[in-house]
Amino acid sequence: MPHLDAAFNLARWLTGNTADAEDVVQDAYLRAFRYLDAFRGDNFRVWLLTIVRNSFLDWLKDNRSGRNLFQPAPADLESTDPNPTPEAMLLDRVDGETLSILMARLPAEYREVLILREIEDLSYKDIAAVTGLPAGTVMSRLSRARLALRKAWTENEKKS
Amino acid sequence: MNHDRAKMLLPAYADRQTGPLRRFLLGRHIARCPSCLAELETMHAMRTAMRINLPMHRAPPSLAMRIGTALPREAPPSIRWRPMRSGMAGSALAGGLAGIALTVAVTQLSPQPDTLIADVVSDHVRSLMADHLTDVATSDRHTVKPWLSDRLDLSPVVKDFAIEGYPLAGGRLDYVKGHRAAAIVYRRDKHVINLFAFVSDDRSELAPRQLALNGFNVVRWRMDGLSYVAVSDVEASQLLAFARLVMGGP
Repeated sequence: MPHLDAAFNLARWLTGNTADAEDVVQDAYLRAFRYLDAFRGDNFRVWLLTIVRNSFLDWLKDNRSGRNLFQPAPADLESTDPNPTPEAMLLDRVDGETLSILMARLPAEYREVLILREIEDLSYKDIAAVTGLPAGTVMSRLSRARLALRKAWTENEKKS
Repeated sequence: MNHDRAKMLLPAYADRQTGPLRRFLLGRHIARCPSCLAELETMHAMRTAMRINLPMHRAPPSLAMRIGTALPREAPPSIRWRPMRSGMAGSALAGGLAGIALTVAVTQLSPQPDTLIADVVSDHVRSLMADHLTDVATSDRHTVKPWLSDRLDLSPVVKDFAIEGYPLAGGRLDYVKGHRAAAIVYRRDKHVINLFAFVSDDRSELAPRQLALNGFNVVRWRMDGLSYVAVSDVEASQLLAFARLVMGGP
């Protein structure tokens, strides 16, 4: 299966667990197979990830438990701008488990742009294609997502 | 560029999503602005932290099988000819679907080149997504070649390039642009390459030409009266190297 790991990773970060991610990815690949002839884009991975995201949104509609996953981000989540310099050093030491927990707590609309940009290395244009965001909004969404993650990380450091 | 504007555009700079002029202007500002530089470093540190430390959730091996099983039993309408099914296809799928398929159309083709390329790329993707990479799954060219020759009136190049890093994985009968075709499947690490070839009006030799479509690399050439087209998501240089191996002789 082409790009199965990328598809699964995105679905796993969106749904938050393996079983639901598998359902979402399976649904996405069946859709992709059905509409293969309609694919006339320039990047098959971007097309697949778009379908994964759509499958996730449909899965949300069908799953009451998942309904709160895609709420808009609270306005104050990224309001304070933490002092970046010591943080840059701290981020180097962040362990995967902590980072996972902090990521999982972010709103899905932040999680998805972070995964698409930092892990999948998609361009702003491709992120816009996958998420349906206007191209001009991708950068500001990413900025807010990064600030939210940094803030969560800084607060976590203060606690420990 | 003033500081406020530079600060606003910093993410695009960090993400390398600006044009060259803006990149130059931003770079000049950042060099003189400790606050923007620190911000940029934080963004880079964060990316590094995410790439190194964030768990990459890999698809469980069972998922590919599960999807393969759930795909429709009948091929989609555009696959009109799938005469053979092999029990080995499932294991090829489980094996990560790494392979190179060399498809040879038997009958004459004179399509627009771009629609032909679109068609073979579509066939390539389909062969990966459907549970049907190979009809005959073996690295033995003395099995694959006669298997194809028995079913198709041509003798395409079939050779195991395992030593060169492109092991033969098997063969498949396929359909290209409405014509019967044979596919020979190879592997390259974890990648899949489709190499399509067909008998064309123009039988003159043609040196390899590189193209890209839909995120896949394509190399096409003509030799011994057959047109070949290789399709894959491996790097263009690797695909070209494979093409040259195939051109090296029967």
